[in-house]
Amino acid sequence: MVQKRRHASFKKRTGQLVALSIAGSVLLAACSSNNADNGGSASATASAGSSAKTKAATLKVEVFDRGNSPTGSSITKNYLTTFVQDNFGTPNNINVQYVPVPRSEEVNKLNVLMASGTDVPDVVFTYDTPTFNRYAQQGGLTDLGELLDQYGPNLKNFLGEDTLAYGQYDGKLYALPARRSHLGKYASFIRQDWLDKLSLPMPQTTDELYATLKAFKDKDPGQTGGKVIPLGMSIAPAQYEPLIWSFIKPTSEEQRYTLTQQLGSNDFPTLLPGFKDALQFMNKLYNEKLISPDFGLDKDKTKLSQNVSSGLVGFFSEDDMNPFYADGLYATLQKNMPDAKLAAVDVYTNEEGKHPKPEYTPIGMYLMIPKSSKNAVEAIKYLDWMASGDNLFKMQNGVEGENYTLKDGTPVMNTNAAEEIKNRLYNQGDMAIISNGKQLGDADKNIEAYVVGMPQPYQEETRKALTISRSDTFKPVRFDKPIEAEAKYGTTLQDKFKEIIVKTAMVKPEQFDGTYESMMKDYLSSGGQAILDERTAAYKAMK
Amino acid sequence: MNAFGYLRRYWQLYALLVFPLLYFIIFKYGPMYGIVIAFKDFNFFQGINGSKWIGLDAFREVFAMGDFYKTLRNTIMLNFLDLLVSFPAPLIVAIMLYELKSAWFKKLSQTILYIPHFISWVIIGGIVYQVFGTQSGMINNIITSLGFEAVPFLTNKADWLVTYLIVGVWQSAGWGTIIYLAALTGINRELFEAADVDGAGRVRKIWSITLPSLKPTIVTLLIISLGNMIAIGFERPYVIGNTAVREYSDVLSTFVYRVGIESGQYTLATVVGLFQAVVGLLFVLGANYASKKLADQSIL
Repeated sequence: MVQKRRHASFKKRTGQLVALSIAGSVLLAACSSNNADNGGSASATASAGSSAKTKAATLKVEVFDRGNSPTGSSITKNYLTTFVQDNFGTPNNINVQYVPVPRSEEVNKLNVLMASGTDVPDVVFTYDTPTFNRYAQQGGLTDLGELLDQYGPNLKNFLGEDTLAYGQYDGKLYALPARRSHLGKYASFIRQDWLDKLSLPMPQTTDELYATLKAFKDKDPGQTGGKVIPLGMSIAPAQYEPLIWSFIKPTSEEQRYTLTQQLGSNDFPTLLPGFKDALQFMNKLYNEKLISPDFGLDKDKTKLSQNVSSGLVGFFSEDDMNPFYADGLYATLQKNMPDAKLAAVDVYTNEEGKHPKPEYTPIGMYLMIPKSSKNAVEAIKYLDWMASGDNLFKMQNGVEGENYTLKDGTPVMNTNAAEEIKNRLYNQGDMAIISNGKQLGDADKNIEAYVVGMPQPYQEETRKALTISRSDTFKPVRFDKPIEAEAKYGTTLQDKFKEIIVKTAMVKPEQFDGTYESMMKDYLSSGGQAILDERTAAYKAMK
Repeated sequence: MNAFGYLRRYWQLYALLVFPLLYFIIFKYGPMYGIVIAFKDFNFFQGINGSKWIGLDAFREVFAMGDFYKTLRNTIMLNFLDLLVSFPAPLIVAIMLYELKSAWFKKLSQTILYIPHFISWVIIGGIVYQVFGTQSGMINNIITSLGFEAVPFLTNKADWLVTYLIVGVWQSAGWGTIIYLAALTGINRELFEAADVDGAGRVRKIWSITLPSLKPTIVTLLIISLGNMIAIGFERPYVIGNTAVREYSDVLSTFVYRVGIESGQYTLATVVGLFQAVVGLLFVLGANYASKKLADQSIL
């Protein structure tokens, strides 16, 4: 047994040596070829000679499996995996393999993969901040600082200081956060045809919205036979966050730091002044039967989408461009009722007359290299390759003339392309992991790329929604070191938070105060207070 | 017969026993090693051996959590109500099936009753939402079309309990009859014939012959159910439960899932699991002892 182990570690060491020597030769090749137009083919010829005889290293990269691979390809073998192998793998004598992880269970499956210790991919990622913090804290990740300087100049340049700061834990760089191209989150949508039918003006404030919802309820312009849902709600953040945040009172910097609670990757307003008013408003809406009666059951917007697309919903908030995809919400609604018109609108108003909305942190996924990985150098080089030349652009947009045509520097996706050609990019978001969204130079161009990717009739509304989601936004509050209580109680408190929303909305108005008090007490004693104390201390330390 | 001859004669039976034994060793006894996680600050990059011992700290932490007591209460409450409702159901159904004269009707009923057992809870959850939903559920559609107020079967905690229990009976009652039906085939037919001669009616026969013959089976199953009083399946409360009724639907298994798998605090989850196992063992032994004393029936 002991001997076997020693043998294994000897093998490991030779493996590392081989990897290093390959790395060295490829680096030379890359340097010499960078000036020739675009990396790929030139470095292929340069390194083919020097490393032809060495054994190919194997680089394992995690990939999300959403179960949507088109026929003829699989999540581990498709146009983009071939593209990576041909343009990065083969020229560098690296065999790139993909390890699928189901999207819906990403954290759980990743935990199991990491704990197994043997079969861990060399590049793993998660959207979940506490998971990243936990891995870093438990010492499971490779320190990437030097590696990035040495092997990832393009990558470092692409991600930038601000983004990389989010990958720090205790002063060390343990993750490379993907760069996010569009920070807006939410917009709201209203049935324009209903407004027209009742000759109502577009509501501009929360009060006007309330009056409009009342009218939808009483006059039932959609002729739903009493099934009308004036305000579509669920317990997914996209539906409740815009409403709740508009009730939060203007706060001082200190209040923002100490009273905000970051649970998972999002900031929660549970303790901020005004939260109770938001709940009170929802309670009123619920008791007057103005919002979805079963919203407490709708964790993933399924019911909401059904209701919207069958024409029962008058108004709802959603991720800014979600309704507009081909075969998406709006398309299905129009298929069911050809006269339906959906208009993007910014309506929830705070006491200052603004429409405050949270925005994303400027990062996407945390890309990490487990400490047990023998291929950290190859891993960085893979990501660096993706960031260099037009590799990222090609991975996101496919082939010019087939997948897209360039218009003023913006790739306009060819929506009439054959399925086979469109399918090349079905998983580009999960393969081009260094970026969240398209990167074309600046935010406005990135937005435009989204707009022209939508079906023609919806482009105008998409542009409006994307403008709304970027206006009056506020940034997430972040300390330079993670709050431990948040990692510990985050999941529990997220559930409690939803419970607060649902229960306080559903009680009779006269029971509202009692329910609110007791639920807040429970929230505080289940970790809310611990987070508050730690944040208060951290704020003092920061000042 | 000496030991050697005995073994030579019956070795095949022992060979057959090897597989179940292996199953228990590999899947039940082997994993028990993992219990030490409850006494360690488990770090999964360092493994069980590499993690630090923390004594009973994790137990103190769990016993100080409000959610632990709430989920414990709910677990016992749901199991107790289930025992009242779901335990007698298969017995009654089995006796009814046994009394059926027409063979084809009996077979058909059995098949229909068994089907729910083979449906995954996730699918049952979907069906439940379609049937019991407030806004577009089948039952509420009927209720509202008759002019009554919709009943919040899934979002009011008391109504939800009823839904939970009904669904449990629907899912398990049919399958549960199998053991009783097997026991019923063992009853000596002559007893019934004798009862007929004595002029006993159907109810009298059930009361005086069928039920007493089932007594050992009932007691055994009851002891097992009591042993499971504190253990609760994960899928049923998780799938049928929802945010609005979490006050009742949050049970130990969903608590373990949230704390252990979702938040990565494996130590705390192991503590709860160990607690469940120990208390479960006490319940089994207690029920066994009581039934030995009271009814002279036991499984140990």
